[in-house]
Amino acid sequence: MNYLAKTAAAALLGVSTLALAPSAPALAETVLRLDEVAVGELDPAKASDYADSILMFNVYDTLVLPAQGAPGLVPHLAESWSADGNNHTFKLRKDVKFQSGNPLTADDVVFSLERMQALGAGLSYLFTNVEKAEAVDDNTVTFVLKEPYAPFVASMLRLPIVDKTLVMENLGDGDGEMKDWGQAFLSANGAGTGAYKVTSHNPQQETVMARNADYFLGVADVAPDTVRLRYGLEPATVRTLIAQGEHDISSQWLPPEVLKALAQGGAQLLTESGTGGFYVKMNTTKAPFDDPQCRLALASAFDYDAAIKMIAVTDDVSQGSAATGAIPVGMLGSNPPTDTLVRDMDAAKRHWDSCRYAPGDHTIEISWIAEVPIEERFALLMQANFAELGVKSEIKKLPWALFAEQVSKPENTPHISQLFVNAVTGDPDTLLYGMYDSKAAGTWQSPEYLNDAEVDALLEEGRVNSDPEARAKAYHELNDRLMAIAPSIYGYDRQSVFAASNRVKVPALSDPSKAFGLDGMGFSFRLMEMQDKD
Amino acid sequence: MSPVVRLLVKRLSISVIVLIGVSMLIFTIARVIPGDPARIALGPNATSEQVEQLRDKLHLNEPIYVQYGYFVRDFARGDLGISLYTNRPVMTDIAQFLPATLELVIVAGIFMIGLGIPLGIASARYRGRAADNIIRVISLLGVSAPSFVWAVILMLLFAFFLPLFPIAGQISDTLAVPPRVTGFLLVDSLIAGNFAAFFSALHHIILPAFALALSGIGQAARLTRSNMVETYDKPYIEMARSYGFPARRIANRYAFRPSLIPSLTIIGLDFAAMLGNAFLVEAVYGWPGLSRYGVQVILRKDLNAIVGTVLVISATFLIVNIIVDLLIAYINPRIRLAERSGS
Repeated sequence: MNYLAKTAAAALLGVSTLALAPSAPALAETVLRLDEVAVGELDPAKASDYADSILMFNVYDTLVLPAQGAPGLVPHLAESWSADGNNHTFKLRKDVKFQSGNPLTADDVVFSLERMQALGAGLSYLFTNVEKAEAVDDNTVTFVLKEPYAPFVASMLRLPIVDKTLVMENLGDGDGEMKDWGQAFLSANGAGTGAYKVTSHNPQQETVMARNADYFLGVADVAPDTVRLRYGLEPATVRTLIAQGEHDISSQWLPPEVLKALAQGGAQLLTESGTGGFYVKMNTTKAPFDDPQCRLALASAFDYDAAIKMIAVTDDVSQGSAATGAIPVGMLGSNPPTDTLVRDMDAAKRHWDSCRYAPGDHTIEISWIAEVPIEERFALLMQANFAELGVKSEIKKLPWALFAEQVSKPENTPHISQLFVNAVTGDPDTLLYGMYDSKAAGTWQSPEYLNDAEVDALLEEGRVNSDPEARAKAYHELNDRLMAIAPSIYGYDRQSVFAASNRVKVPALSDPSKAFGLDGMGFSFRLMEMQDKD
Repeated sequence: MSPVVRLLVKRLSISVIVLIGVSMLIFTIARVIPGDPARIALGPNATSEQVEQLRDKLHLNEPIYVQYGYFVRDFARGDLGISLYTNRPVMTDIAQFLPATLELVIVAGIFMIGLGIPLGIASARYRGRAADNIIRVISLLGVSAPSFVWAVILMLLFAFFLPLFPIAGQISDTLAVPPRVTGFLLVDSLIAGNFAAFFSALHHIILPAFALALSGIGQAARLTRSNMVETYDKPYIEMARSYGFPARRIANRYAFRPSLIPSLTIIGLDFAAMLGNAFLVEAVYGWPGLSRYGVQVILRKDLNAIVGTVLVISATFLIVNIIVDLLIAYINPRIRLAERSGS
C-alpha cells in the first residue's frame, strides 16, 4: 500500500503545484473573447457566413454603412454618392489610410470589385450585374451597371475595400498577370482600412485582432484593445467558459436551453434581428403542392405560437418573433408587427376542401437539415399539425451537402424543406429574389421552384424602380401575393441571440436605436464598451 | 542484415503498400459520398457558373482514375492541394495541426503507460484486496465510457466546480506563444527558455490528455492485471516466493516483464487509435489539432484535406505499430529468434 500511497501523493503534489502556480499577471489591455462555429474566412472576397462578416466588418471598411436604428444607408469610406441611369458614382474620403499606411484611392475600389468578380466566391453574385468600375480620379469611382438595379448602393455593404498596393506586393503562385489575386496572402493577413488589425490567424483555433490606432474615425478608449475570435467551441465549453468569466460573447448557435442556463447564471442576452426569417418551403412542382389550396391549408394548419415557444430562451427573449408574412418586420414591404400569423384550423380545412387532392392521397416528405437540430423539432410539430388535417407525412433527415445537391432537381427536392434565409444587404431584394424568382429556382434558397408571373414582375419592379415609394409599394404587393399563393410557410422572423458576460456592453446588439439591421454588423468591436477598462 | 533491421524493412515495405491502398480507398470514398465539394466550398450563394468553374479547376468532371493520376503527380511533388475549408495548402494545415494532436496523444500515452501499468501491477499484487477492487472499478469506468464523456465530466469537475485547470486552449491568453520550432508547444517553450509558457501549456494539456487516456489507462490496467495474475500462478514465481524474495521484486521483475508483451501490443494499438479518437476531446477543449480538422474537412467534403489527413493519420498509425513491433522484438527474444530462423 506504501507504493500506492506514494504514487497518489506524487500525483496530488503535481496537480497542486500546477493549479496553485501563480496566475499570469493581469494585463493592462482589455481582451474581448467571442466565438463562432465556423472558421472565419479572412479573405473578404470569399466572405459569406456570419464569422466571415464579423472579420470583414472589423478588418475592412465599405463605402457605405447601414444607418443605426433606422432604414437606409449612411456614408462611410464614401463621402457621398449619386446615380445617373446605370452609372453610380462615389466620392471617397481623402483622410483614409489602410493599415499598411497606404492611402485609400479609387484604384483600390476598382481593384476590390475586379478581384471579387474574378474569384467568383462568397457574395460576388451581388456584383454580376456590374459591367465595370472606373477610377475617375484619385477620389472618385464610378460603377457601370449592365442593367438597372435599384438596391445597388446597398450591395456596396458587401464590397470591402482592399489595399491594392499591398496585395500586388504579395501575389502568390498562379496563372496570368494577377497570379492568385493575393488569395494566399489574404487568407492569413488583413489588408483593409478597418478599426482592427489581424495579428494572428489559426483557422482551427482563433483569429486575434488588435485595435488600429490610426483608424480614420478613431476608436474609443473603452473599445477592446485585443479581440480573440475563437472557432468551433462546443456549447458545453462555451457555457463553462462564460460561467467562469473566461469568455465574453457566445455565438448565436447555442441551443436555447444553454442560452437560458447562461442567462439564469447572470449572463446578458444580446439580440440582432430584422434580417431574415425561418421558411418552411413547399415544392410547388410536386403533388399535392402544385395546388395552392393545399399549400394554403398547411400554412393555416401550422402552429405558429408553438414554434415561437420552442425557440424561446427566456420569457422576454426568443430566437425569433411572430412572422407577419414573407418579409420580416422592419424590412421594406413588411406588414405591421401586429398582423401576426396564427393557426386557423377552420381555414385549413376550407382550403383543403378546395384542393384537388384528398388529404390521404400523398405522403408528404418533411425534411430537416441534419446540422440544425432544432429543425427536427419543427418537423415533428408539422407532422402533428398536418395529421389533424388527415395528411400523412414522413420525416427525413438530410445533411446539408446532400440537401444542396438534391434541390438542384425538382423531382429530387423533398415536399418540405426548412431553411433560415437572410437578406445579405438588408434589402428585400437579396432576401426574396433568390427564393421566389422563377429564374432563381433550383438553389438551396428556392426549393419551392415557384413559377409565378406576378411574383416575377413584382420582384423585377423592386429591382429596377429607383423610387423608394414605388419600391415599397411593389414589395407590399409582393408580400400580399406570396401570402395568397403560399409557396412557403412563413414560420417566424429570425432573431439571433447571443449570451454575453457583463464585462462588455454592445449597444448595437442591445439598444434598438443603435442596431444596424445587417447580420454581423452589430459585432463592430470599435462600438463595444469594455466594462473593466481603466 | 540483423534480424531487427530485417523486421524493420519488412514492416516498412508492408506499410508502403498499405498506404497506397489507403490512398486509393479514401480517394474513392471521398468522391462518392453525397455533396458537391465545389458547391460547399463556394457557399450557398455562388452561381452555377462559379460552381462549374471550380469543378473544372479541381478536375472533378474528369473520370476518377484521371483525378487519382493528378493526385499522385502532385503528391510526388509534395503538394496535397489546397484545402477548401481553410483556403490554405493542405500541407500547411497538416504541419500546423498535427503537432498539437501528437503532443496531446503523446501526453495521453504517457498517462496511459505511467498510470495504467502501475495500476495493473498494484491490482495484481493486491489481488482480491480492497486496493484491487478499487482499481478494477476505476479501470472498468475508464473503459466503459467514451473519452468525450470523460472530457465533459472532467471539465465540469476540475475546471468548473473545482477550478484547478483551464477550460480550453493550449496556453493562457495572457502569455505570448513561443516561436514555433517543432510545433510542440511544450518543447518549443522549453527551447525558448520560456518556463511560464511551458507550465501554462502543461497546465492546459493535463485535462484533455487525461480524458483521452482514461479508456487506455483502464485497458492497460486490466490487461496488465490479468496477464500478471496468470504469471503469478507460474511455478517460477512460486519458487521465488519460497526463496523469500521481496513481494515488490517478484512483482516488478519476475511477474511484470513477461506480462508486458501482450499489454504493449494493445497499448500500441490504443495509442494509434487515440489519433483518430482525439477529435471529440479536441472539440470539447478547443484544441487546435489534426483530428478536429479531419472531422471538419469530412463534413465539408474538402477532398484534398480528407485525403491528406487520412494519409497522415494512417502513416502515424503504421509508424506506431512498427515501433511497437520493434519494442516487442526487443523485449521478447523468441521473436528475434523466429526472424533469424526464418531467414
